[in-house]
Amino acid sequence: MNKLKVLQAWLWCESLWPCWLSHAVPLDCKDETGSLTQCASISQEKLLDRVIQHAELIYRVSEESCTLFEDMFVPYPLHALRSQGGNLCHTKPFPIPGSKNEIQQISDKWLLHSVLMLVQSWMEPLIYLQTTLNRYDDAPDALLNKTKWVSDKLLSLEQGVVVLIRKMLDEGILTSSSIFEHTLTPYNEQSPEVLESVLRDYNLLICFKKDAHKMETFLKLLKCRQSNKLSCLSY
Amino acid sequence: MRSCELAHLSHWKSLPHMISPDQCHRGPVQFSLPVSDPSRGPHFTGCRSREQETFRCWWSAGIFQNLTEPGALRVFYQTKNALLSEWQECPDYTHTVKNECYFNKTFTHIWTSYCIQLRSVRENITYDETCFTVENIVHPDPPIGLNWTLLNVSRSGLHFDILVRWAPPPSADVQMGWMSLVYQVQYRVRNASHWEMLDLESGTQQSIYGLHTDKEYEVRVRCKMSAFDNFGEFSDSILVHVAQIPSKESTFPTMLVLIFGVIGLVILLVLLIFSQQQRLMVIFLPPIPAPKIKGIDPELLKNGKLDQLNSLLSSQDMYKPDFYHEDPWVEFIQLDLDDPPEKNESSDTQHRLGLSRSGSSHVLNFKSDDDSGRASCYDPEIPNPEDLASLLPGHSGRGDNHPLVSRSISSIPDLGVQQTSEVEETPIQTQPAVPSWVNMDFYAQVSDFTPAGGVVLSPGQLNSSPEKKKEEENEKKIQFQLVSDGAYTSENTARQLSTEVPPSPGPEQGYQTFPTQAVEGNLWNGEYLVSTSDSQIPYLLPEAPPAPILPPVSDYTVVQEVDAQHSLLLNPPSLQPAICPHSPNKHLPAMPTMPMGYLTPDLLGNLTP
Repeated sequence: MNKLKVLQAWLWCESLWPCWLSHAVPLDCKDETGSLTQCASISQEKLLDRVIQHAELIYRVSEESCTLFEDMFVPYPLHALRSQGGNLCHTKPFPIPGSKNEIQQISDKWLLHSVLMLVQSWMEPLIYLQTTLNRYDDAPDALLNKTKWVSDKLLSLEQGVVVLIRKMLDEGILTSSSIFEHTLTPYNEQSPEVLESVLRDYNLLICFKKDAHKMETFLKLLKCRQSNKLSCLSY
Repeated sequence: MRSCELAHLSHWKSLPHMISPDQCHRGPVQFSLPVSDPSRGPHFTGCRSREQETFRCWWSAGIFQNLTEPGALRVFYQTKNALLSEWQECPDYTHTVKNECYFNKTFTHIWTSYCIQLRSVRENITYDETCFTVENIVHPDPPIGLNWTLLNVSRSGLHFDILVRWAPPPSADVQMGWMSLVYQVQYRVRNASHWEMLDLESGTQQSIYGLHTDKEYEVRVRCKMSAFDNFGEFSDSILVHVAQIPSKESTFPTMLVLIFGVIGLVILLVLLIFSQQQRLMVIFLPPIPAPKIKGIDPELLKNGKLDQLNSLLSSQDMYKPDFYHEDPWVEFIQLDLDDPPEKNESSDTQHRLGLSRSGSSHVLNFKSDDDSGRASCYDPEIPNPEDLASLLPGHSGRGDNHPLVSRSISSIPDLGVQQTSEVEETPIQTQPAVPSWVNMDFYAQVSDFTPAGGVVLSPGQLNSSPEKKKEEENEKKIQFQLVSDGAYTSENTARQLSTEVPPSPGPEQGYQTFPTQAVEGNLWNGEYLVSTSDSQIPYLLPEAPPAPILPPVSDYTVVQEVDAQHSLLLNPPSLQPAICPHSPNKHLPAMPTMPMGYLTPDLLGNLTP
């Protein structure tokens, strides 16, 4: 009897194995008291709108943070670095197309996955950025607040995209960010030079702004496709 | 400091993520603005994209005129991704426009940086190089479809608000979200120099408030990509004009109401003033208070009520202290009855008599005073003629040896003041409460002046009550005139009284002299009556022969006592003669033993009958 029970327990655990995969996303809904309740349903269009709003806000705040940092710490002649676009941001697992035609040919699945990948790739660098900015003596509070806010919003954006993926693509996905390799070693370097750290942080902010733009663009394209497929096609 | 100059920094190589040192951007920061610099060699004048899908680049040969022919200069570009790609030549040299390189959609990649080079292939020289990203060179096309609608007009008709609408540029793919545009509206009064700028608007409409009627306005709009700084061109201006509606009818009633209101208010004010005239007069023009000076009511003087006047004058405080202050010697003279022998030895000027009050209903207090240094001529106070009459031995009612009296002088200053105004012999009736000796005359005729300034007085006519007059006319007529302050007793009269029945006294003429210093200046008017005629001189004895020459009169006679019959008992004068040489007309009564000025106690025995 004991063996049978152990076998049943093992089978029971095995049957729940897919649940482990989908359960990786803790999307339990909690009400004010904190108890688990049925999550409130939301339509896909509204969810997509909210996700797009998140992405727009993140993009706007990233641009403001970049401007704040530039005005405060970056010497004026180096402001051209921003428009030159010679920044080398951290590499992505798969290349993202840049031309409009190519982007229009990207499928919805890849659009969502790209967004998710971008969001996940920026979580740890933003935390690092917060610690770095705290080291500056006269960092403005607005900059620190914005960076903190962006980190929080990025988390909720990730959650929204995951739900969208589940709804639109009917697939569960692990949200663990350990899938992607992060070239964290350059960020962990301790550079004694002030100018080096300034330039590094400046580069980081510029790259983040660019990626936030990518997220917003992909999500808007997705929305356009959802509402009116004809107008969004390339011509 | 350009980015290429950073290569010279020592720590440059430690930054792996920065651009490589060979990327030197020599152009202006705002690279997308096509600005040609003729002083330079061949260079890029700018690159610009309209819709983020294509872009163009322009260049100029500069001073190198030999390179202006087409094909001499060529553009090569390179996309800077993770992998460094090779240099490719411009995909499309625009045929219609000179020195322009056009990148179509295929070759336009956003989120990637481009680097372009201007080379002269023949010479293999790179004249210029620049790097950019396409989003940073996007200048959107101007919005289209700008129009306005009137929102409202203000009540006064002077201001109005409008709502301006437009459409995004058709080249920008806003719907797909490829470009997120923000717009800026500007307006101004037509042909003015300054444009009013409103805040950035992400929608496609905006309200403009506070425009003036009867003014023509120009409105225009432009747009840019959000999160970027490059504005596009302005749209065409539209004209806004709202005519002013004449609204004079609305202002007419208000003016009428205002006028009527003002008139009503004025009428109300006038009525108020007329009804409250008296109170207003009191408030604005208060009555001047009457002077509150202590003085004599002129009504009293008019009516001639002398009694009231006397009482008033006697109650005046202003006179008493003056007298008391300046004439201390007349205030109180104390007559001492107990030790007359002692005082007999002192000089008349220093003689003071104390008076015991036993048996005397009237006490006259004379303040002791050292009158040394004063003029010798001095008139003592005049006693009551009745009292004096009672002192006579022939008087029926007087038989007692009345002690010397000291007499208060409270009423004397008052009487003295009265008498200064009247030089004539007029008795003044005093209040009944006042001792009767006050009722005597206080006037004495001045007979002569002393060289020291003293006044030699002669006793005046007696002018008391008719009853007493009859008595005294038979026995004596004593009239005293007080010219100066203080009543005094005539020494002559005192002598006459003291003697029993002096047979010899003729026209006795008593006189007293006043020391000038004891007199107030204002009272001593300097007029004196000199009694010369015998007719004026009272006679103690009706048929007295001419008075014999009297011994020299003392300075003053001190009243020692007032007996029960209100008669004044005087101290016989001292033996020392008074220096009164200027009285030729005086007739001194014969009083050989009378001391000068004082009635000594031993003489008192002579006095009392």
